[in-house]
Amino acid sequence: MELKDKIKAIIPQAVFSETGELVVTLLPDDFRRVAETLRHDKEEPMDYLRDIVGMDWGDALGALYYLESTVTYRRITLKTSTADREQPFLPSVCDLWKTAEIKEREVYDFFGIRFLNNPDMRRIYLREDWKGYPLRKDYDMDSNPLDLDNEVNSDTTEEYYLNSDGTIKGHENTVFDRDAFVVNIGPQHPSTHGVLRMRVSLQGETICKVDPILGYIHRGIEKLNEGLTYPQTLAFTDRLDYLSAHQNRHALCMCIEKAAGIEISERAQYIRTIMDELQRIDSHLLFYSCLVMDMGGLTPFFYGFREREMILDIFEGTTGGRLIQNYNMIGGVQADLHPDFQKKVKAFIKHLRSVIKDYHDIFTGNVIATTRLKGVGVLSREDVISLGATGGTGRASGWANDVRKHHPYALYDKVDFREITYTEGDSFARYMVRMDEIMESCKIIEQLIDNIPEGEYRVKTKAIIKLPEGVFSSSVETSRGEFCVVLESHGDKYPYRLHYRSTGLPLVHAMDTACRGTKIADLIAIGGTLDFVIPDIDR
Amino acid sequence: MSSFKEYISGYANGLKSLLIGMRTSMKVFCQKKVTEQYPENRHTTLHIPERHRAMLVMLHDENGNNRCIACGLCQMACPNGTIHIVSEMRETEDGKKKKVLVKYEYNLGSCMFCELCVNACPHDAIRFSNDFENAVFQKEKLLLTLNK
Amino acid sequence: MTLDYYNLEPLLMYIHTSLCGVMPEWLALTLEGVVVGVIILLLYVILAIVMIYMERKVCAAFQCRIGPNRVGGKGGLLQVPADVLKMLTKEIIKLKNADNFLYNLAPFLVILASVLTFSCLPWNKGGEILHMNIGIFFILAVSSIGILGILLAGWSSNSKYSLIGAMRSGAMIISYELSIGICVLTMVVMSGTMDIQMIVSNQANGWNIFKGHIPAIAAFIIYLIAGNAEANRGPFDLAEAEQELTAGYHTEYSGLHFGFFYLAEYLNLFITAGIATTLFLGGWMPLHIAGLEGFNAVMDYIPGVVWFLGKTFFIVFLLMWIRWTFPRLRIDQVLTLEWKYLMPTSLVVLLLMTVCKIYGLTF
Repeated sequence: MELKDKIKAIIPQAVFSETGELVVTLLPDDFRRVAETLRHDKEEPMDYLRDIVGMDWGDALGALYYLESTVTYRRITLKTSTADREQPFLPSVCDLWKTAEIKEREVYDFFGIRFLNNPDMRRIYLREDWKGYPLRKDYDMDSNPLDLDNEVNSDTTEEYYLNSDGTIKGHENTVFDRDAFVVNIGPQHPSTHGVLRMRVSLQGETICKVDPILGYIHRGIEKLNEGLTYPQTLAFTDRLDYLSAHQNRHALCMCIEKAAGIEISERAQYIRTIMDELQRIDSHLLFYSCLVMDMGGLTPFFYGFREREMILDIFEGTTGGRLIQNYNMIGGVQADLHPDFQKKVKAFIKHLRSVIKDYHDIFTGNVIATTRLKGVGVLSREDVISLGATGGTGRASGWANDVRKHHPYALYDKVDFREITYTEGDSFARYMVRMDEIMESCKIIEQLIDNIPEGEYRVKTKAIIKLPEGVFSSSVETSRGEFCVVLESHGDKYPYRLHYRSTGLPLVHAMDTACRGTKIADLIAIGGTLDFVIPDIDR
Repeated sequence: MSSFKEYISGYANGLKSLLIGMRTSMKVFCQKKVTEQYPENRHTTLHIPERHRAMLVMLHDENGNNRCIACGLCQMACPNGTIHIVSEMRETEDGKKKKVLVKYEYNLGSCMFCELCVNACPHDAIRFSNDFENAVFQKEKLLLTLNK
Repeated sequence: MTLDYYNLEPLLMYIHTSLCGVMPEWLALTLEGVVVGVIILLLYVILAIVMIYMERKVCAAFQCRIGPNRVGGKGGLLQVPADVLKMLTKEIIKLKNADNFLYNLAPFLVILASVLTFSCLPWNKGGEILHMNIGIFFILAVSSIGILGILLAGWSSNSKYSLIGAMRSGAMIISYELSIGICVLTMVVMSGTMDIQMIVSNQANGWNIFKGHIPAIAAFIIYLIAGNAEANRGPFDLAEAEQELTAGYHTEYSGLHFGFFYLAEYLNLFITAGIATTLFLGGWMPLHIAGLEGFNAVMDYIPGVVWFLGKTFFIVFLLMWIRWTFPRLRIDQVLTLEWKYLMPTSLVVLLLMTVCKIYGLTF
C-alpha cells in the first residue's frame, strides 16, 4: 500500500504538499496518532527517525519529521506545527524513537518549541541562560551580548505534560543526584575528538551515566545560510564534518541540482564518486589512527597518518585543498582532474593494500586491543535503529543502513561493492566495519578510475540560482553515517531554511547507552569507535 | 580441564600476538623515515601543487595594468565580505563615463578560500596564488591592496 | 698502583687512606660522603637527560619520524637540556583547596625512592655506592616509597583526574610488586645470596640467564613486564593515561615539581633495567664464551662500567620497544594479567628454580 493512502486512511484531512517533495501536513494531535501507527506497523514499521527539522514559518512554529522503514527503506516526511508563538507545545515522539530525545532538545533550543512528555527539556547547544530562540525569524541578533561569566550547569531539568483537565503542567527531573561522583570530561580533553564535553557520573571506575553538553564550537551555520545565496552556502558544508567534506558538499549540490532541475555530466558523476570514496578512506584511516591513540598506542597512529598524507596530496593536486577542498559545485565540480590523478590514485591503492597488513598485525590481532574492544559498549540492533545511529556504528550492530546501497546516488548503483555488516554491535565490530570499508572503497575506486568518460566537468548554470518553492532533501552516506540536507525554498535566491542532519549527534547520544556499566577507559575507546566529529554536531 | 586448556591457549595466543606486534614495529623502525623537514626542504622536497589556494592575487601585465573593471561581482560573491572595492567614475578620452578601479582591498584574515570570487570574475582579473607563508604579527598586515 | 678495570676497590681505598693522611678520619668520611652525594645527583640528572633523549629518538624511529633535530645541530642533542632549562624556569603553582603540605611533599618522596634505589646499582666491581649484605632486599623496600608519593600526589591535588590516576597506580604497583618480589627471590635462590656484589661475582663463569636456563629466562620476562608496570610505563601507563586522565596523578603539578615526577619516571626505567642486568645478565661481568680464549680476552679489556651501561641500555631499548608498540591496558586487565597470569607463573618459576637448585640442574 502506498504510504500516502495509509495516512489518508488514518487521517482523511491530512494535507499533501504540491510543490517540492512530498510532505504530509498534520495537526499536532493527528500527527501523534499517525506517528504511532506508522511506527508500529506490522509489515513496514517506520522505525528509523532520520531527523527532526524545526521550522519557523512566520505564522506557525513546527517541525518536519523524516521517517524511514528499515524493512522496505521507503521514506516519508511528516509536518506538524502550532500557531502559538508565546507558549508553543508539540507532542513528543521520544517514546517511539529514542533519538527524538536529543533532536527535540535541538528544536527546543533553536525554536523554543517545548515537547510534551520529553523528560529532558534543557538547552543543548546554547548556554542555559541564553535569551530567545535564535533560529526564529524574528530573533533579535543583539539580545545576547558576549557573556564572559562561567556557565553553571543545572543538575535538574523540566518535563512538561498534559494534565487530565487539559492544562499543561511541568515537573522537575534530576540529571545527576547530589551525591553522584561527577567527572567532567572536555571540552578541552585529548580524546573527545574536538570540543565535546561530557559529564560522567562514576561509581569507582564504572560509568553510571553520560550527559553530553554540546555547542562549544557552534557557529550557527544554519542561521548564516538563510542570508546567503545558494553557491555561497556551499562554502560551509566542508566545515561541518571536515572528514567528510566532499560527501557533505555532494549532498548539498545534489539537493540544489535536484530542486533546480540541473543534470550533471557523467564525468562529473565519476569524479564525485571517486572523490567521495577517497574521502572515506581518508576518514577511516584517521579513525584508525585516533582510535589506536585513544587506547594508548601512539605508534600505529603514525601509520594511519603516513598513508593519509598521500590521499591529502592527491586531493591537493586536483582540488587545491587538503582538508577543506571546495571541490563540488552546483552543476559539477570546480576543476577538471589533474593529469596525474589516475596514476597517483592507482599507486596509492597499491601501496595501501601492501601496508594494511601492518595495521592489522600491530593492532587488530593484538591481545590487549581485542580484549579492550570485544564485548565492550554493545549496542543492539534495536538500540541503533531507535537511536538513529547510522553509518558504521549501525552496520556493526547488524542494521544494513548504507545509503549508497538502499538509496543509490551518483554512480553507486553501477559499481559492485559489499555493504559491510557485523552483528556483534561491540566496539570491535565497529572498528572492523571501518577497516573493511577501506578495502571496499578501494574496490569501488578501482572499478571507476580507468573508465572516467570524457566530457565537461561542469555544466553551465545560471548566474543567479533560484529554486522553486517547496521542501527538498537529499542524503548521502558520509564517512560516519547518513548526512541529509533539508532545504526549504520560498522561491528566492536564498534558502528559507537549510538544515543539515548531523551524523554525529545520534552517535554522541548513543554514548550514554553504550557506556553504562563500562570502565572510564572504555568510555574513550567507545567514543573512538563511534567516530564522531564535533563540528558536524555543533554546526 | 577445558577451561585450563583455554587458559593455556589464551596465554600462548596472547603472547604470539604481542610478538607479531613487536615484529611489525621493528620493521617500521628499520624503514626510511617520512618526516618532512620544513622549512629546510623549501627548495628540495617541498611541493605545492599549482592549484593550491593560499592568497588572492590580481594579475598584472608587464606595464602594471590589471584587467579589473570594478564590476563588484567578486565582492558580491564573497560569503564573508572579504573583498572591498573602491571605484570611481572617470571620463575617458572619447567622452564616455567609465567605472575605474581605485583600490581593491582584500582581507586575508577573513578569507576562507572558497574560490567564489575567482569563479565570479568575468575577466579573469584575479586568481589564487600558492604563496602560503602568510603569517604576520599584526592583524592589520592582513589587509592587502591587490591592485598596483 | 695499577688501575684495574674490574676492581675499583683498591683505587677507592687508596684515595681514602691518602685523605686520612692529611685530615682526621671523620672529616675524610664526611668529605667523601658529600662528594659521593654530588656524584649520585649529577649522574642521576645526566642519565635522565640521556634517557629522555634516547626515548625521543627511539620513539620517533618506531613512528617513522626522525625525532628532535633542530636544537644543537643535526641530531637535536641540546633539545633535552633546553627542555630541562625551561622546566627550571617555570612557576611552581599553588593550588586552591589542595592539601599544601602533602602536595609539596609528594614529588620529593617519589624522587627519594628513586635516588635511594639508584644508589644500590653495582656500576663496577667495588663501584657500588651503598653496599650491604641484603642489598636486593633494600632495593625492594625503598622502591616501594615511590608509590606513597604517587598516592599522596593524587590525593592532595584535590582533582578528580589525579585521584583516579593515583588509585589506579596504587592498585597496580602493589599488585606487581608481588611478581617482582618473587622473580627476585627466584634469582636469590639461584645465587644463594642477597648481596648484590655477590650475585654479580657469582656470574663470573656465566650469566644467570644462561646458568639458570628455563626458569631464569621465564623469570627475566616476568621481571621485565612487572618492572615496566612498576615504572608506570606503557602499556601500563594507565596511572597517567594521557587520553583518559590528561596526566593522571601529576595533572596539577608544574615546574620543578612536575620535573621531579618526570625525572623519576625515566630513572625508574633505568633502575628497572639496571636491576635486571644485575640479576640476569651478569651486571658488569663481560660476556665470556667457553672455549674462545681470544674472544674472552678481548671482552676483558672492556671496562665493567661499560658492560653494565651497555646491558642496561639494551634492556631500556627493549622496554621502549614494548612501550611504543602496544596499546594501553585497562585497569581490570592489568589486575587480571597480574593475578591470573604473572603471579601463578612466577610462583611456578620459583618452584622450578628451587627444584633445579636442589638437584643441581643449574650450571
